[in-house]
Amino acid sequence: MKNFKKVAAVALSLSMAFSFAPSASAAKSTKIGVLVSDTTSGEALGFRSYYEDYIEEQYDVTFIYSDQLEDAAGEKDAIDSMIAQNCKAIISFSSFDRPAQIEQCEEEGVYYAVATGTLTDEQYETYKEYEYYVGAIGPDNDTEFQTGYDMAKYYLDQGMTNFGIFTGAVPYYTEMHIYRVAGMLTAMVEAGGDDANYNGATDKDSIVAQIYADGCAISTGSIGTVNLLSVVEGYTMDDAWYASCEAAVNAEGLEAFLAVGNGADFFAASKPDSVKIATVDSYVDSLGEAMSAGSVDYLAGKFNSSIGPIFIAVMRAIDGNPLRTDEGYALALGQGYWVATSYEDFQTYQSGDSVESPAYTKDILDQYLEADYAAFAEFVGAYTYDDITNVG
Amino acid sequence: MKQEKALKAPSQAKVLMKRRILNLVPIIGLLVLIAVYVFVGYWEDIRFDKGIQAIINSSVVCAVVATGAIFIYTLGSFDISLGAATLVSAMIGAMAYNATGSIVVMMLVCILVAVGIELISSLLAAFLDLPVFITTVAMMSILNAFALVLIQINGTGDSISIPSEAVDPFDNMAFKLAVLILYLIFAVFMFNYTKIGRSQKFLGGNSLCAKLTGISMKKMAIVAFVLCGVGIGLGAILTVTYAPTVSRNTASGVGMNVILAIVFGGMPVSGGAKSKISAAVIGAISISVLDQIMSILQLGSGVGQMVKAVIFLAVVVLTSLGYRQKMLAR
Repeated sequence: MKNFKKVAAVALSLSMAFSFAPSASAAKSTKIGVLVSDTTSGEALGFRSYYEDYIEEQYDVTFIYSDQLEDAAGEKDAIDSMIAQNCKAIISFSSFDRPAQIEQCEEEGVYYAVATGTLTDEQYETYKEYEYYVGAIGPDNDTEFQTGYDMAKYYLDQGMTNFGIFTGAVPYYTEMHIYRVAGMLTAMVEAGGDDANYNGATDKDSIVAQIYADGCAISTGSIGTVNLLSVVEGYTMDDAWYASCEAAVNAEGLEAFLAVGNGADFFAASKPDSVKIATVDSYVDSLGEAMSAGSVDYLAGKFNSSIGPIFIAVMRAIDGNPLRTDEGYALALGQGYWVATSYEDFQTYQSGDSVESPAYTKDILDQYLEADYAAFAEFVGAYTYDDITNVG
Repeated sequence: MKQEKALKAPSQAKVLMKRRILNLVPIIGLLVLIAVYVFVGYWEDIRFDKGIQAIINSSVVCAVVATGAIFIYTLGSFDISLGAATLVSAMIGAMAYNATGSIVVMMLVCILVAVGIELISSLLAAFLDLPVFITTVAMMSILNAFALVLIQINGTGDSISIPSEAVDPFDNMAFKLAVLILYLIFAVFMFNYTKIGRSQKFLGGNSLCAKLTGISMKKMAIVAFVLCGVGIGLGAILTVTYAPTVSRNTASGVGMNVILAIVFGGMPVSGGAKSKISAAVIGAISISVLDQIMSILQLGSGVGQMVKAVIFLAVVVLTSLGYRQKMLAR
């Protein structure tokens, strides 16, 4: 009897507590899940800050972030968990298995969008008619190629001929980095004279194919009149690897060192004054300090609020007003980087895209809540700082 | 004499009661976690049907691999290469599917490769006369490097994939639970009703005494690793059927999760007679429920890791209370 009373008391307490729960959750805002494979880089933190510190303040939404994802199974687990938490849409920054993510969301009736990336042509053809696939906005492989190409050409145009490259995740077959390196090598081949080639390859497609054929190992050597003096690859990050970073950036005769990412983190501190460092990264304070100190010379960076347009596309889908192409297909829109070649450029871009006053403000984004596809596509395509400032 | 008995009786009863309670700590812990999950979930208005699905999906691979790993942990040893072995087995299994188009072949290859890997680890330890965990450390590095070689050989970007249509019929609760339950039955039988299981518990409890009675540590280690290999192979099958794109980080968290699960489940870290198969499942589900609670409360992975670490230490201390002073000299 005594035990029964205790059980009854606990049950009553729990039922009372639970009875208050719906009133607490009733007023909750629209939940959007965000899949991330990187939770610590400046770029990732910048994106997160834009969503959590700006967008959440301006719109009635709550972002549910995943932990750092490391494989396709982790992505599926995270989507399961987000669906359980009543997320109406998923915005993905993680790309271990995009087709599986799209299929899972379609099956569950949850909207899905790709941020800062795109699908391959083949994938797009497969999924463009899916009801719950909103689309993708971000740098595609062509944009990545062009980013690497422009970076190398910037120094080739200044008459430099001796280069080093940090290939990042190329040995892990990461497409984004492969295309950036292919762009750099293509620019070198074009500047290297008539017989210049990279291991026999002479244009974009053949260089990409050659990189894969070589097992994603980039080799040093002459590319016509241009010299690739040093290469650092991977993210082993042990003593030997850091020593190789230092050796690479101190190679005799080196003029410019081109990094697919993390140029300031791994190379800036140990480089000689004469060597220029160029990198793909983001507009975070540490990069500003590096550019101010002259340890980084060229930055192709994503800007924090570049993920604003995909948010609008997702909100429209949730609100029953989805953005589709004229044929009724999902979005596939390219968006590139902001390039700073001086500290002044950096300051302009960073101050123009702060949390308090991002490049894509609510006022700008709201203009596209009812816009048609053509207007939205034009808006996304005009991603340079000047373009966005003019829209505002 | 009677007085002495009367004095002893309550203390023995107390000891028994304490032991029973300590034995129940893992299951009580799981029930508390479930209660917290239900409360938090109700408060946050979650969909419990999907929540349960998420818990099963995220715990089943860990539960299966951990069930196999119990055989190794019972010996007082451990295998740090479990995640890498799962990865390589899944990769070769996927390549086998791509070569043959047969899902049966893929499943067989997953199990054979995993058993082969574990066999090599244990045979190396036997021939080189090293503690088995030493060879698993070396094996982990070799397998991770081998995974990159496999990706290169396969030549399809940074992962090895099989068509999702091929595995769709197996990506469901029935298949996952069937694999887990059948392997559990097999493991419980081997562990509790055969000479192998008893010998392993004896070795883990006191290797010296076990050796003196004629039980070979090396032979039992090889048997334990082979039995664990079956679990790894099944884990690889469940991995591929759940997410048919296998990359170099696939199953990277399995090794650590298995250690956590086994400890959360109440398995003594030193192995021995108190080892139990149920620890694997209880622990794996506990971790998964804890992850779901963290996710609902939007606590980042850093906080989650700290919470797991605190619980890990607490469980180790609690579960070792009952037997710490009773362990025989080794």
